[in-house]
Amino acid sequence: MSGPGPLRALGVAGLALFVIVAFTPLPNVVGARLGSPPALAPADAIVVLGSGTESDGTLANTSLRRTVHAIRLYQRGLAPLLFFLGARRPGAQTGEAEVRAALARELAVPATAILTEEPAWTTREEASRAQARLAPRGVRTILLVSEARHLVRARPVFERAGFRVLTAPADGAPLETQPEARLWLTRELLAELVARTYYRLAGYL
Amino acid sequence: MDSAFLAVLVGLTSVGAYLMGARGRGWSRRGLRAAVGHMLECVGLALAFFVVNLALGLAILLVARRVAGGFVSLYVVDDVTLLVLSLLQALVFAGWRAGASD
Repeated sequence: MSGPGPLRALGVAGLALFVIVAFTPLPNVVGARLGSPPALAPADAIVVLGSGTESDGTLANTSLRRTVHAIRLYQRGLAPLLFFLGARRPGAQTGEAEVRAALARELAVPATAILTEEPAWTTREEASRAQARLAPRGVRTILLVSEARHLVRARPVFERAGFRVLTAPADGAPLETQPEARLWLTRELLAELVARTYYRLAGYL
Repeated sequence: MDSAFLAVLVGLTSVGAYLMGARGRGWSRRGLRAAVGHMLECVGLALAFFVVNLALGLAILLVARRVAGGFVSLYVVDDVTLLVLSLLQALVFAGWRAGASD
């Protein structure tokens, strides 16, 4: 391991980064720049990317937010079909996509307007499944629902699968004011940046 | 407001601790400077451990994904616990190094 000089420099850099991230609005600025803006227009289907369920089978926060946003887009008449993705946790009775579909039906979306697909764990697999299910139905233009920062990566993946993609972020520009929330946002931004790098290196983008 | 409150709060307790150490116990300023330097080294060491843990974890998961064939989530390493464990590694390693140089 290196001597105290480089370690001290790394420590100073780490502490400076911590102070900037926790005590300034920089994460909000970066988050807004790394996100995809909404491009809402009529489409053939609304595709809602998976985000996971809690251990009790209920939708995770981000999953619920995406689902509700998609249902609102459907009820605004932007597309005639809702396509819910979302895998089933090991040992769970119901998968995320089915839980979302049940919520949509409860909120007056006709069952005939809902499609679900469960066994897809990554954004790339979701694009592949969506292509397999939606292309035979003549779906060409989709409204893609996820968080704004995720859509930057998801959009080209779905375009590669043959869709014309309109982005429909379920969240707005981040406006975190509490240090912990800013740290959390930074962690999510870093995770997404790692994912983008991985997708680029693997040739998926 | 929240962040300013936290900064002021920690500033106040730091001043209190300084007064207690400097006036109550007679600890030197030079000792304080050395302690800050030691803290920075520990933070640097923790970051180094964290980056190595993260990189190695991702590499292992990617290999497992190829070997297993089934789905292996990379988000396993996206856990705050890894940062805490890296800090503990750093504290132990820094203490060990300090003991070795005595």
